Amino acid sequence: MRQLRILGRVFVETFLGIKRSGWSNWLVISILAIALTIFGSVLQLTMSLKNLVNLWGSQMVISAFLSDKYEPREVARDVSQYKEVRLVEVITKDVAWEDMKKSLNVASISNPLPNTLHVTVNRADQVEALAPKLKLLPAIEAVRYPMMVVKRINEFRHFIEIAGVVVTGALTAATLTVIGNTIHLVIQSRQKEIEILSLMGVGHFYIKCPFVFQGAFYGFIAATLAMLVLLTMHLYVIQPYLQQELASLAPFFPQNVGYNIAQTFAIMLTLGVAVGAGGGAWTSGRYIKI
Amino acid sequence: MIRLQHVSKGYGGRPALKDINLHVALGEFAFLVGPSGAGKSTMMRLLYREEVPSSGSVFIGGVNLNRLSPRQIPLLRRRLGIVFQDYKLLSKTTAFDNVAYILRALGVDEKDVRKRVSSALNVVNLEEKANAFPEELSGGEQQRVGIARAIVNGPPVLLADEPTGNLDPATSLEIVQLLSRISERGTTVLISTHDHTIVDAMRRRVIALKGGELVSDVDSGVYDTHMDLQSVSQSMSSLV
Repeated sequence: MRQLRILGRVFVETFLGIKRSGWSNWLVISILAIALTIFGSVLQLTMSLKNLVNLWGSQMVISAFLSDKYEPREVARDVSQYKEVRLVEVITKDVAWEDMKKSLNVASISNPLPNTLHVTVNRADQVEALAPKLKLLPAIEAVRYPMMVVKRINEFRHFIEIAGVVVTGALTAATLTVIGNTIHLVIQSRQKEIEILSLMGVGHFYIKCPFVFQGAFYGFIAATLAMLVLLTMHLYVIQPYLQQELASLAPFFPQNVGYNIAQTFAIMLTLGVAVGAGGGAWTSGRYIKI
Repeated sequence: MIRLQHVSKGYGGRPALKDINLHVALGEFAFLVGPSGAGKSTMMRLLYREEVPSSGSVFIGGVNLNRLSPRQIPLLRRRLGIVFQDYKLLSKTTAFDNVAYILRALGVDEKDVRKRVSSALNVVNLEEKANAFPEELSGGEQQRVGIARAIVNGPPVLLADEPTGNLDPATSLEIVQLLSRISERGTTVLISTHDHTIVDAMRRRVIALKGGELVSDVDSGVYDTHMDLQSVSQSMSSLV
């Protein structure tokens, strides 16, 4: 009960600190909200690209052309043992030839096509690992897969990730500076009170915690604002407009590029509160000497 | 209650206290006197663990303050009442809330806070001005609020660092008499001062410091003004 009362008083002190900070509150919250919006956008974009590559990759098939000396179903059984493999479909040379004859007016010649396996992988990044393994099998003469597109998308995603980390890092550093200055001003305005509390035997927790909570409050509000911005973009820009445009431009593109928006928000909220509280803890540790 | 064993304290090679040995018993009332620079404030800061001695040991209630960790310092200070020359009151807070602040910060139940603050304000005879802000109070009244705040947690030791430094002689005497009454209830009271009028009027134990050394310790003493005059003449001659 006593601890609860102390916590209650700490919240009162936190509220008074926020009230004392005036317009500085909005400066801190704005900068942190911008940093978190950029971070959230990058996070969403990279998650979308990752999902896209995975979706595409899992639909993508490695075509393995077999030597005539081997029984295709036996080879298919061997290939399906690889952990990366989700599905193996056998296209015998006769079936392939019949299909070809139906769609193309081919001359009456003997069937030149090989037996083929269509191997579907679990995830896109497994394509590059699996294809060389298949190639080593004596039954398989050649493999083909549309790797370049996946590779490019992954390279782009990697670039976005690095750029996002750099920009978010720079903005977080700026935010920490502004949080530090704001809380430093509050500490200066409460210097006498802090000195009295310290001399009267009030514990470090009670004296320093309001500043940590004040930082956490900034992080919480900034993350909420950033989430509102991202949610608005998601609902009114990305979903209705961009996906429609994408569908008309590239119909082969997977339309349901799902990413977990709740997960993005949870990460943003955690990061915002952690940066804010960390800034408060660092500043109070540096400027309050008890 | 208060014990100093071979305590010395220096600042950058300049000694502020030299080999002090002292004992103040439970419930005792004593003045710590001496001219400016004698080491009174240094000794007070050692007692509430604002500083640590360069050598020797300081004990309060048997606890060696040298061995306290930073986390234990607040626990020590809760057992001490401290009264300051400049009162150190929160200007935008009423007398009642100034006294109540520490109790609330320690998580004391609000009903108990009201009871204990009223009792402390009653001891210093300020119950009627509980809702007044510091700027509405005289210097003596502000110091009484400071004393109420120092005793509200029932500390066994009360340290008063030049408590009458900003007050007129009549009010100073009132304040010291109030501290004496508090001592009669069993609290150890140590007052640092260079106000010879109040020391002479009270005729209580007088511990005299000069140049960082303990020069006299008398049970029912007076302030040796000769010591101050000597110090002033020494200061003047060093200027010349």
